[in-house]
Amino acid sequence: MEIRVQNVSMVYPNGKTALKNLNLDLKSPSLIGLLGPNGAGKSTLMKLLVGALLPTAGSIQVDGRPLTRSEKQLKSRLGYLPQDFGLFDELTVAQFLDYMAALKEIRSPKTAVSQAIEAVNLKEKAKSKIRTLSGGQRQRVGIAQALLGDPSFFIFDEPTVGLDPEERIHFRNLFSQTAQNRLVLLSTHIIEDVQSVCDQLVVIHHGRILFAGTPEELILTAQGHVGIFWEQEAFEEEGLHITARVNTSQGIRCRAVAESLPACAVPEEPSLEDAYLYLISREVVS
Amino acid sequence: MKSTGLFARELHRLLHSRPAWLALLLTLLSPLAGLFLYKPATADTMLSLYLANPALTGGAAGGIFFGLLAVLELDRVSRSRMDALVDAAVPPLRMALVRLTALLAVGLLATAVTMLVWLPVTWSLVGSVFDLTDYCLAYLIFMGLALPLAILAAAAFYQFTCRMDLSLVLFAAFCGLSLTLWADEWQLCWLNPSVWALSDDFSNFRIFRSAAYMRFTWLGALAGFWGLSCLCVRQYGKGPFGSFARSVRRVCRPILVLALLASSVTAYALQPFVDHSNPDLSAMTFSELEYAEGVTCSHRSAQVTPCTDSGSVTGTASYEFQNSSGKEQTVSFAINPGYTVSSVRADGEAGPFRVGDYQEYNEAMLEVTLPAKEEMELEIRYGGFPREDRTTSTMQGSAEISREYICLTNASLSPRLLNVLPAKDSIPVTMEITVPAHMSVIPFGRADAQAVEEHDDGTITWRYEDEGTGGILYAGDYVRQDIEAGGITVQFYYGRKHQAIMEKANAAEAVRKVVDYCTEHYGPLSFGAGGSLKLIQSRTAGGGYATDGASLLDEADFTAANLSDPDKGGAVGEVFIHELVHQWWGLANMFDGADAESPWSAEGLTVYTTYRIVKELYGEDYAREHYTDQWQREAEDYYLNYYVRSPEYLQELPQSKQLEISNSLSRVRQYCEMPLKILKAETLVGGEEAMDQILKGLFNRELDWSYPYLTYQEFLDACNLTEEELNLA
Repeated sequence: MEIRVQNVSMVYPNGKTALKNLNLDLKSPSLIGLLGPNGAGKSTLMKLLVGALLPTAGSIQVDGRPLTRSEKQLKSRLGYLPQDFGLFDELTVAQFLDYMAALKEIRSPKTAVSQAIEAVNLKEKAKSKIRTLSGGQRQRVGIAQALLGDPSFFIFDEPTVGLDPEERIHFRNLFSQTAQNRLVLLSTHIIEDVQSVCDQLVVIHHGRILFAGTPEELILTAQGHVGIFWEQEAFEEEGLHITARVNTSQGIRCRAVAESLPACAVPEEPSLEDAYLYLISREVVS
Repeated sequence: MKSTGLFARELHRLLHSRPAWLALLLTLLSPLAGLFLYKPATADTMLSLYLANPALTGGAAGGIFFGLLAVLELDRVSRSRMDALVDAAVPPLRMALVRLTALLAVGLLATAVTMLVWLPVTWSLVGSVFDLTDYCLAYLIFMGLALPLAILAAAAFYQFTCRMDLSLVLFAAFCGLSLTLWADEWQLCWLNPSVWALSDDFSNFRIFRSAAYMRFTWLGALAGFWGLSCLCVRQYGKGPFGSFARSVRRVCRPILVLALLASSVTAYALQPFVDHSNPDLSAMTFSELEYAEGVTCSHRSAQVTPCTDSGSVTGTASYEFQNSSGKEQTVSFAINPGYTVSSVRADGEAGPFRVGDYQEYNEAMLEVTLPAKEEMELEIRYGGFPREDRTTSTMQGSAEISREYICLTNASLSPRLLNVLPAKDSIPVTMEITVPAHMSVIPFGRADAQAVEEHDDGTITWRYEDEGTGGILYAGDYVRQDIEAGGITVQFYYGRKHQAIMEKANAAEAVRKVVDYCTEHYGPLSFGAGGSLKLIQSRTAGGGYATDGASLLDEADFTAANLSDPDKGGAVGEVFIHELVHQWWGLANMFDGADAESPWSAEGLTVYTTYRIVKELYGEDYAREHYTDQWQREAEDYYLNYYVRSPEYLQELPQSKQLEISNSLSRVRQYCEMPLKILKAETLVGGEEAMDQILKGLFNRELDWSYPYLTYQEFLDACNLTEEELNLA
């Protein structure tokens, strides 16, 4: 599957510009992490990709055809978990998934439902009413409905919100496995979620793409811009973006990113989070 | 397969929703309110009381419940924040259609369950006159079709506004309109069809057809309205107008919506049930026509064939005319406004004719130019679906033509001559009508019909000789019982379905009692009908009427409940007595009805005599409560009425309101004020016996047949009283 976003801009009726002249190519198999601060335009991009919005300019093509003309085909191949979603509380987990399977016109809904339930570890809750589930369990039901029918294109918007650490690891692995022969777009603000599994990253800010490439490439951009130092040695320095503070017996040890590190700083190997923060801070400064 | 699977899951989901079950349960229970609280069908027939009212209430209440359910369920998707998930899987317009069909399916389920649950209840309440076809049609049309209409309307409001609160307000207003302002407009009251009566003994296809027509007209309108709202279903994050602009890009969608709306408007405008008669009940345009100069009619005949499947009529009427004027003359006929005239031929040659647009008293005027021949035979071919008078549009059903019952009156039977004098005293008529073999034909009047020809298609042609320009005819599966009473033979006709009830109630004995009472008090029937009188049980019509030699009795007077009501002394109902009494006091030519303002009419003496018989049969207390006290109350209200005291202000009102008020006041004058005056006269002349003697004298006096009026002055003179002495105010 190949999705091509060309010169896409999105301006809401209230005048707010969400995306500006965006260009992006997404090809399967790939697990793409979509990163960006709140309000960057991530959700707008995702809504455009699922056909919930139409761009005010530019075009989106799915396998070479405009999305508006292949909307039905796209939806039949799509597994989508929006950031903000609800469920029909009066149904059981199995009934709800069965309903969603019908919406997606899945040919063998029973098998698809049981596979999805198994994939999200909800077997023991299959016959429970959704209204009795915890927040994490509801999130898992949301993921399960996206998995239904073995779609070839997944969009997960903040999928690990509300999950405990163990579940998050489970789902990271699940997404990773899923992406082996599919296209998965994972939007999150939790760097850990993308760090270990994504082979591609897209960083978006103020409606524009700041970076598109592999995690390694992103990390490389921050090489030489990450250091650690004692807080008292550099408290007057400008342009520092503290990413971590650790209290020690000798004082507060800081980790920071900066265009130019202070002399007192000891250079450090950047992490993905450092690189991301460096990218965003550079954008803010510019 | 894909859409049906989606529909099945949506339905399955809906059936897991508590509001859906609540709506279903409340709808199931709502016919109960029709038995006790909401009774739009006012007739006393068993089917009106125990079938029409529960079904109509079920429809009105069920419609409201399902409208609310539609709004709640459509809003549930956004309340549950499921819209993002659903929209990502299914296009919003398609999902709107799936949701609608699921709601309609639950409505259908509710109707089916209600019909099943209420079947034994209705059967036991209605008793021996229960009819499964009537039951099914009543629940399907009066109740079942209300649910999809309400669902469509409510869903449309929601799809337009996307707001639950606003949708509920709009839906409530739409229901309110039907229940209030539109209640008197049979085509507008979409929620509560105008059904005032269902017949027990005869069929109800006319009213079912009319109600179904109204429902389907609205179904087209609301389907179109829903379709329009569907085009506004929000998509691509756009508002209603943006979404509409996007949706109409597929041209077939707006075309379908427009087609639905246009078909509904056309159906509304071209409804075939009710005419456009002048609502002014004092209009007399047709009876004031000048007679055609030198033209007389010596005989007329008609061959009429009602189609009992379609409820329509075809006929050929022939008239023998003499034209001594030596020039062409225009003769006028009244025909039912639902009929079309296919040809008019004078001695076999097609001649010019025209049917006017003006209609009065359920008649349109057909004008035919007669050639300047001395003698000729005019043949008119006509036919169509008879329309009913617009002034009684909320009381439809009288022009019933079905396999069980046929009623054809005057211009519905054959074109009625308006402006031609008879060659002799009156115009002889030979009437032939072809009806299904199981039916008996009963001309309303002195004539007797005879079966003259049997046909291979299971029909029989009946013929009878009569006279006059009009005529009324009934046909049905009747039982005839001959009763000797008051020196005459009373031919008592009633529906076969009712035979067991009639025999159990000994109705024949009641007839004998009333006829004997009137004969004893006022003398034998003086209007000659060969020593016989026909009493015909008719399909429910809100009362009866009488003519020379025949009285029509509403079937509502013969219901099992009415006949077995101990409060009524175990005898038959009062309207029955009233119409029988009309044979003594009430044939039209006995009173001058020219003055619509006058309280003196056939009704005054008839109501008074009915009161006397009721007093004798059921006791003084019953008669006081149901007659004199009621007259008194209504007369007091009448004298206090603002428009009676200040009639000049009545003229300031719109014409329709004027007519409504003046008709109502006229009824009080005739049915309440005059009986009270006669009662006062009874006291002043020395009591009941003295009054009976006076009335006997009036009834048996020498009558001038060319002017056989019994005037108020003659009555006052016989009582030796003045008009002022009988004033009540």
